[in-house]
Amino acid sequence: MKIINYTTLFSLAILVLFGSASQAQEKFFRAIGTPHQPKVEASWNRYNTYAGIVDLMKKITDAYPELTRLESIGKSYEGRDIYMLAVSDFNTGDPDEKPAMYIDGNIHSNEIQGAEFSLYTAWYLTEMFGELEFINQLLKDKTFYIVPTINPDARDNYMKEPNTPHSPRSGMIVLDNDGDGNAGEDGFDDLNKDNHITYMIRKSPTGQYIKDPQDNRRLIRVPMEEQGDYEMLGFEGIDNDNDGEVNEDGIGYYDPNRDWGWKWQPDYVQRGAYKYPFSLPESRAVADFVMKHPNIAGAQSYHNYGGMILRGPGAEEDVDTYNREDIRIYDAIAEKGEEMIPGYRYLTVYKDLYSVFGGELDWFYGGRGIYTYTNELMVSYLYFHENKGRGNQEEELKVDKYLTFGDAFVDWKAYNHTQYGEIEIGGFKKNFGRAHPGFLLEQDAHRNMAFTIYHAYQTPKLSIINVEEKSIGNGLKEITATIYNERLMPTHSSQDLKYNIERPDLVSISNADVVAGMIVEDEDFNKASEQVQNPETMRVSNIPGMGTVKVRWIVSGGKNYKIDVDSEKGGKLSWSK
Amino acid sequence: MKHIPVILMLILAQSLAFAQDNYPDLKQISKRLKALDKNSSVNLSTLTETAGRQDIYVLKIGTGDLDNKPAIAVMGGVEGYHVLSVELALQFAERLVTEEAKALEETTFYIFPNMSPDAYAQYHEELKYERRGNASNLDHDRDGRLNEDPYEDLNKDGLITQLRIESPLGKYVPHPSDPRAMMEVDTSSSSATRYRLYSEGLDNDKDDKFNEGLKEGYAFNKIFSFKFPVFEPLAGDYAVSQKETRALLDYLYKQFNIYAFVTFGPANNLSSPLKYNAQEAKKRIVSSPLEGDVAINKMISEIYNESISQKPYKQDNQGTDGDFFQWAYFHFGRLSFSTPGWWVPEAKKDTTSTSDQKIKETEVSNFLKWAEQENLSNVFVAWEKIEHPDFKNQTVEVGGVKPFVMHNPPFSKVDSIATEHTHFILKLAQQQQKLEFHNLKVEDLKGGLKRITVDLLNNGNLPSHSELGQRSRWLKKIRVDLGASEEDILVGNTVELIDRMEALETKTLSWIVKGSGNINLKAGAPHTGFADININL
Repeated sequence: MKIINYTTLFSLAILVLFGSASQAQEKFFRAIGTPHQPKVEASWNRYNTYAGIVDLMKKITDAYPELTRLESIGKSYEGRDIYMLAVSDFNTGDPDEKPAMYIDGNIHSNEIQGAEFSLYTAWYLTEMFGELEFINQLLKDKTFYIVPTINPDARDNYMKEPNTPHSPRSGMIVLDNDGDGNAGEDGFDDLNKDNHITYMIRKSPTGQYIKDPQDNRRLIRVPMEEQGDYEMLGFEGIDNDNDGEVNEDGIGYYDPNRDWGWKWQPDYVQRGAYKYPFSLPESRAVADFVMKHPNIAGAQSYHNYGGMILRGPGAEEDVDTYNREDIRIYDAIAEKGEEMIPGYRYLTVYKDLYSVFGGELDWFYGGRGIYTYTNELMVSYLYFHENKGRGNQEEELKVDKYLTFGDAFVDWKAYNHTQYGEIEIGGFKKNFGRAHPGFLLEQDAHRNMAFTIYHAYQTPKLSIINVEEKSIGNGLKEITATIYNERLMPTHSSQDLKYNIERPDLVSISNADVVAGMIVEDEDFNKASEQVQNPETMRVSNIPGMGTVKVRWIVSGGKNYKIDVDSEKGGKLSWSK
Repeated sequence: MKHIPVILMLILAQSLAFAQDNYPDLKQISKRLKALDKNSSVNLSTLTETAGRQDIYVLKIGTGDLDNKPAIAVMGGVEGYHVLSVELALQFAERLVTEEAKALEETTFYIFPNMSPDAYAQYHEELKYERRGNASNLDHDRDGRLNEDPYEDLNKDGLITQLRIESPLGKYVPHPSDPRAMMEVDTSSSSATRYRLYSEGLDNDKDDKFNEGLKEGYAFNKIFSFKFPVFEPLAGDYAVSQKETRALLDYLYKQFNIYAFVTFGPANNLSSPLKYNAQEAKKRIVSSPLEGDVAINKMISEIYNESISQKPYKQDNQGTDGDFFQWAYFHFGRLSFSTPGWWVPEAKKDTTSTSDQKIKETEVSNFLKWAEQENLSNVFVAWEKIEHPDFKNQTVEVGGVKPFVMHNPPFSKVDSIATEHTHFILKLAQQQQKLEFHNLKVEDLKGGLKRITVDLLNNGNLPSHSELGQRSRWLKKIRVDLGASEEDILVGNTVELIDRMEALETKTLSWIVKGSGNINLKAGAPHTGFADININL
């Protein structure tokens, strides 16, 4: 664990910020829903490199030491720290013992905005603490573990090096993609040096395309029997290894979202798997962290794009893992999410998307019993409130004409290619399509955060609502404690119960001489199951969502007894007479 | 003479190996490995240290360009209680370098002598039991408590055997032909005294289960990703979770020349080959070996049965969930062979008894009969009454077959087993794929152009890639490199890739080039070896 200290530089920066905050009182009028005078100034209409992310995380930790803990959970392949920010009210109990919500982003390196959405969440929660009763109570009850990027190496590569909107997607390990014995010998080439990998087209008498006479950015296909002017040559690049193929062996390729330890399958079953579950340092760091934090009850992973709230299973072969009782809870939370995030639909990975074995959300749920969603951020609905679907060229050209005024498109320009001769290079930039344009970023971040807050809110919340005593003669009495879980999620999901993933909840009595202990199954008909061994600490397999568990002891004496509840995912509480 | 000390060391190693009367302990093993390392063809290295602070070793044995010769990996100690497997792997290495070094001309060998040293050590501990798990912590019964119900040596004989308790509730009765052996009750044995049967120990946590909270960790042979038995005892929460397992795989994934594994472990696909199941083979998650690979298995199995004198008996373990042997094929795409090396033979029929024809031998009764025929007296702890706190006022006895003896032969038998298995592995190596160029032709065309034609032959009994391996990115394709510049090649490429060549298959390659002089043509992959030819234009 590594905690980052103040630097004098930061302290100075914060002094300056405070100065400007007091000016804000005069110049600004509060908007509902947004921190008005944030201690940490941040812009939610741009993207952060890894350095920017770390900087913001440190600023938040420095500004709110009693609400946050910054920790490196491991190192990436290239040696960057993978930082996690724990957000909770540190004055009301050990954050690692409160029911927790885990959030990460950017597992696919080109799917960048998950990091900003995660950061926004940390920023919003810390800035609003003390402002809103709801947030005060939320951080008193819960902990948020926020890891903005779990693919820091390739995030920076995506931003700093020439890429398409779809690359690198993997991390920075270079593999032999074409099986020729060399690894990474023929990646993209940024021929026009604009840091975007766009398209190459060439005038050709046998071409099938023409430039749209009304919009020369657009290539349209001519009818089969007609002659066109242009042929498509694919993404910008050269055949660097003289094998007759262009761009066939760049960074990766592997998929960090095929590296997780639930029903993992090798590369030949699905392209993208690496060597074995958690063979990538980034996913291993997350797995180690999650194994050490059994208080995580809910989890969220951010991808892009398409406007989806996804649950598992990732593959049809794993349908039986998701049982009806848990699906009811998944449905209840995600259906609320659909209302909160316009344009997003609640879907199931294997049915509505494609098959994934060894994906992150399946390990979180299948392997740890944690209710987990993946959101595919950004949906074209946000442009014109129409459902044109992913990659609708017509709509995208319209966006760039009327909303972004040409910022998204590299106009076709002639280029002399060493292998193709005279060509033209142009097309949409890498940061358009999948990534939100700046003006749409903050709103969608807020809405997705609201969904994760709802999810976190529904993790178990336990209370001892009633303790009854009844004398049964011979100096003995019955003590019956009722423990209530006032939220949707049980302390153990059905998947957890099936495999005993986490230990039972412990309900114990002290300062009393216990003769017998039992769990009352039906109060009205006096049905109970006795725990013969060690009845002082009753082992309760589960405390259901929106339900109660009654524990009863027969004790002799015991005037000032105390009852403790200790649940991995439900937290700790006690009651004393 | 530089070689003399090496030879002396080897003789020393030999004498260490053969003068022993028991399976070696970990110290003796590392001594023998270090002695082997003195040989110039041997490279000993340590992959990692286990949670029990034991080294995981690998011997890489080969000569010349050893990374570009086809390689066989030999695995020992996939199960800690199977001490024979470690000795077989060690002796294979010793015999290879002293007696069979000629094999290194064509093949490189990787020997992983002991993958379960933490568990193996139990064989030499004061308290002996058949241990599988390493020294990591694992909550086997997932009740939130660690090591809460281990074995106890109740009769203080240094061995964990069994407990039997006389009880009408019991499900076991003494075997009619040998009352020392316990067998499951059936309706024909209604008059016999019934017993409950447990492993030797106490119910420490009073949960009516005996020794379910073991003081040992993960079993190497149960934590691989093929059919990983998630959350089961000895397996844990996810596959390949252990340091030594990860270190092994990280190493193997870099050794592109390995084409086959021979595992000394409980599974056996050598006495009889695996079967092909079309339905399972065609699924997206393949769980039957593919048809072509089953044919290879059959051929190698025949060679095994010719090499090994012991007759198969009850060899029906063809893989268990999460084991190494299946991983090597299904997830690593290599040919994978496994044998226990030795098993309890079928005892000779009792000729004196006439009546009890119908009595079915159990594994234990057969073992006891065989041991008697072999004059092995030291294999059974006679049932003896003890007081047991969990069964007050009941008749409780401790006894049973001693640990290890049903999986490991008396040490005196190991020598001949090792010799036979060494010969088998070397015969396997002789089947391997071998690329050769034949019929090189250079035709002069007009204007200084030349057409090169050559046949590439796989002159081996194995294909260049197993059928499944052909699908894996971790097995390289055959790469054909013509050493001419791109501009000089008019037809054909400088580099061409071939996915697979069957046993004895020929492919004709051709190019049209310009220019003159000598150029080099090369074809192969690390696991097929390389063929090389000079072309004079």
